[in-house]
Amino acid sequence: MRNGGGEAVLEARDLTKVYAPRRGQPPVHANRGISLTVHKGEVVAVLGPNGAGKSTFLRQVAGQLLPTSGTVRVCGIDVIASPLAAKRCMSVIPQECSPYDSLTVEEHVRYFGIIKGMDPRTAPGETSRLLSEVGLTEHRTKLIRELSGGLKRRVLIALALAGPGNQLLLLDEPTTGLDPASRRTVWKVIESLAGKGRGVLLTTHYIDEAEYLADRIVIIAQGRILAEGSPLEIQSRSASKGRLDIYDVDLLSAAAKAELDSLKGVWPVSFAREDHLRLAVPDPFSPEAVARLQGLSGLGVKATLAPASLEDAYLTIAGEMPET
Amino acid sequence: MNGVFTQLRACMTQFFKSAQRELGLILAFFLLFPLGFLFFLSILVQPSFRPQILVGSIMMEVALININVLAQSVAQDKQSHFFDLWVSFPVSPLVYVLGNALPWLPVSLLTAGVTLAMGIYLFGISVAVAPLLLLVALVLIWSSTTGIGYLVAVYGGNPRQVNMLAQFVGIVMTFFAPIYYPVTALPLAAQYVAYAWPLTWGAILLKALFASNLTQAAIAILVLSLYTAAGYALIALGLRWRAK
Ligand SMILES: Nc1ncnc2c1ncn2[C@@H]1O[C@H](COP(=O)(O)OP(=O)(O)O)[C@@H](O)[C@H]1O
Ligand SMILES: [Mg+2]
Repeated sequence: MRNGGGEAVLEARDLTKVYAPRRGQPPVHANRGISLTVHKGEVVAVLGPNGAGKSTFLRQVAGQLLPTSGTVRVCGIDVIASPLAAKRCMSVIPQECSPYDSLTVEEHVRYFGIIKGMDPRTAPGETSRLLSEVGLTEHRTKLIRELSGGLKRRVLIALALAGPGNQLLLLDEPTTGLDPASRRTVWKVIESLAGKGRGVLLTTHYIDEAEYLADRIVIIAQGRILAEGSPLEIQSRSASKGRLDIYDVDLLSAAAKAELDSLKGVWPVSFAREDHLRLAVPDPFSPEAVARLQGLSGLGVKATLAPASLEDAYLTIAGEMPET
Repeated sequence: MNGVFTQLRACMTQFFKSAQRELGLILAFFLLFPLGFLFFLSILVQPSFRPQILVGSIMMEVALININVLAQSVAQDKQSHFFDLWVSFPVSPLVYVLGNALPWLPVSLLTAGVTLAMGIYLFGISVAVAPLLLLVALVLIWSSTTGIGYLVAVYGGNPRQVNMLAQFVGIVMTFFAPIYYPVTALPLAAQYVAYAWPLTWGAILLKALFASNLTQAAIAILVLSLYTAAGYALIALGLRWRAK
């Protein structure tokens, strides 16, 4: 756990956003009273499915979208009343955003860096330093149109780091659409950002991303916060402590089927597919659980026993979600 | 923090960097209008209409290019969502708009200069105006259309629609705004509409300057200054900058 006890760089209180109705559609309540604080040195992940209201929240914090009600302060500055001043201490990477095709990597960071407040005299040196920080040195003279999606995302990260004002970084789905290898690289870069006394707020719909990057996870759905806490705290909210996964269920022998049926009477099914069954196990480390697993193995069943994951907790929490 | 001029200079520099890579396109722009003008004058037009055609061509080069280029670059930024990034920068919307429009001003002025020189030296049109005054007038005509370009971009919908709207403005300019003919040639009701449109005043200004009619020029300068101030005020106040 990184230092989360520093001063607050972001304080959002009761943010509400209702999008005006469009052509006969009802108004959309995208955020219904979201309160959230990010401290210096802390990475907070807002985790939720598509349409949960993550981008809406971030855009209001960034001064890109006017809230319907509520307050947002960044570095103590009221974003609604003084957007220009607030923007001087934060940087944003929007969810979908492509840099300019006919500019090079270096030109982006340098000129937009100056627009963001970098000193023009030191801009070339500063640009080189930022490019090496995000691993783009070898690509610095390439035009954007020659780059892959992952490299473009890193250009935007370098751009976000340019200039004096990045006490708060806002990253909207920083790895959506990237291949697994590029995702890892972007994760490494984001990981290195938080250590420097900044606050990082990112949104994601990937559970593993939130688990890997965040000190604190805020789960939202339908514009509301459902749960908030460290990954460990969130994980402990899973309905059961463990899970037993059984594979090739469709190929089991008669004896194995009988054993499985008796197990289903003891432990509830949490997931079922034709060839894959998952049972919720209250305590995966108990002698009983281990004995049952050995029993199954003795019958030639492929099975694994594991502690509950963040995903189990997420599904438990999402299951408590009110339907609308 | 950097001042507005430092920010604007960075906008312009990045623009010229990418413009170097699209030089062919810009040269085509640069040549197209004087060539069109030459065609009009040499084939279609009686000598007495020549000054008006000169005015019309210069208006296209200074005003139409500004509206089109501005509308399309803002629309492209919206498409690529780089516009969202611009909004998140600590920068006034005016810097953004001028950063997109200003780099084209020299192109417009150069084209207008070539057209003017062709009018004077190849076709004997007499133009009685001090060069500096003409330059000020051209810049004023250019700046009075900046607001229109921005409005077309932010209210025009998706980039394809913005493109169509910009073309539409071009057609209105060519045929309905009295830049290729005197405003008095319109029916009376249409004249009132025409006087509410800054391009009409741009054409009046140029004609008045060419004919040394300084009173009329002064009125046109006043009107165009008001359009400029109104347009810049709308942009600077953040019209369609932070979304609602
Ligand atoms: N500009 C808009 N106008 C109307 N509705 C919108 C707008 N942007 C988003 N929405 C709606 O608001 C809800 C939340 O969207 P969003 O914040 O983008 O969610 P997420 O980023 O979590 O996927 C969705 O139902 C979406 O359709
Ligand atoms: Mg989103």
